[in-house]
Amino acid sequence: MLSLLLWPAGLLLEFALLARSVQTKTFTKYIYFYAYISCVFVVSVGLFIGHSNLEFYEAWYWPTQFATLAIGFGVVLEVVRQALAAYPGAERFAWRASCAVFAVTFCYVEWHVASRTEWSTVAATVELERDLRVIEALVLATVLAIVFYYRIEIGKNVTGMIVGFGAYVGVSLTTLALRSFLGPRFNAAWGDLQTASYFFALIVWTVALWSYSPNPAPPTTGRGNGGYDALVRGTRTQLESVRSNLRGVAGS
Amino acid sequence: MISLLFYLLVGVGLLVFLWLLARRKGAPVEGCGRQFVEARQALRTLQLGLLPENLIERLFDREDFRYAMAASPANIGELFLQERKRISLMWVRRVRCEIRNLMQFHLGYSRLHAKLSLLTEIRLALDFGLLLLACRALRILLYMRGPHGAGAVVVVLTAAAGRVCAASEKSLAFLNPPALESFRRSSAGNGAAI
Repeated sequence: MLSLLLWPAGLLLEFALLARSVQTKTFTKYIYFYAYISCVFVVSVGLFIGHSNLEFYEAWYWPTQFATLAIGFGVVLEVVRQALAAYPGAERFAWRASCAVFAVTFCYVEWHVASRTEWSTVAATVELERDLRVIEALVLATVLAIVFYYRIEIGKNVTGMIVGFGAYVGVSLTTLALRSFLGPRFNAAWGDLQTASYFFALIVWTVALWSYSPNPAPPTTGRGNGGYDALVRGTRTQLESVRSNLRGVAGS
Repeated sequence: MISLLFYLLVGVGLLVFLWLLARRKGAPVEGCGRQFVEARQALRTLQLGLLPENLIERLFDREDFRYAMAASPANIGELFLQERKRISLMWVRRVRCEIRNLMQFHLGYSRLHAKLSLLTEIRLALDFGLLLLACRALRILLYMRGPHGAGAVVVVLTAAAGRVCAASEKSLAFLNPPALESFRRSSAGNGAAI
């Protein structure tokens, strides 16, 4: 019931978001993000028009769901690209850490799927969605950890993207995990929670991306490649001297 | 069951991160420039405010305590000890705080370098974490043994912090503009302060 109410409202928000992006010319600035919204909008409109025809709906739901799920990675890419673009060091760190997270999670999921003895299409579909959400969640968490660790200031647009998409991914992941565990009796709550979380994400995106608000300009002092080794050497020297003395402290 | 816990942990963990992001107060926009100044200030505080030899001697001197115990009633001596303990704990807390500032300096500077190494940064993060933890342990030691029971510890920590300052001084050497330095050197010995 809740899903049926939020569906048309969500379509209106998606349309407003896209119209506003064209009006403020932010479409080209956050191209991956708006490509995702456009894709979801087209799919949602198509499914909304055809949802009275059950056969059509069932035939198209999962393929389109996978398409939007795959394009959803674009939002994660957009977040990494936008949040850390001005900080080459932190960006490099984020890409490498994200690749490592992706590889480890993918291997774990593959191993988990390969070790299954029973196989059903519906269960496999739900699990695949959940596993892809895990990768998205871990990559987002890695980027956020880097943003916190390096105290990187991000603008309203990118913060909105992260909060909206992160909330949707976090809720989806939690409910998908519970659905796998609780079975079909959780289906109704699962559908409503997923729709509500996506609707929440749309509200956050609409508010945060209503006008263009770029990330604050990064400092220019100290930029360059030459000083990093010297910096690391200096920091290491400090740490070594303190550590050697603390050993003495512990012994006294 | 284990995989359910894993998925729930990741999902809830991400939501907690988002909550922290939404609650986060604006990070310093001045970024590196401000952190350089803060690092410089942290160094000055350590060198001039927290580590001078006479201050440390005064703070942890046993003679003062002996005199207070001998020349006044026992409750005055206890009060004296409590106050000294409070001050010494405050001192350790401040030293730790300034070391944190130096750490922030490293982060503020390294995030801008395209050549940043993932492994080096992880190792340094661990090192800083352990060092700060060690400072906390020292605080506990002072708390338990009192200011006069940890005299040797204080001497060693002071020496260590002094060496950190010396090393940081080199890291921050680029903050001294060469032109200004040469001007300073070439000015008369008793000239106006720059």
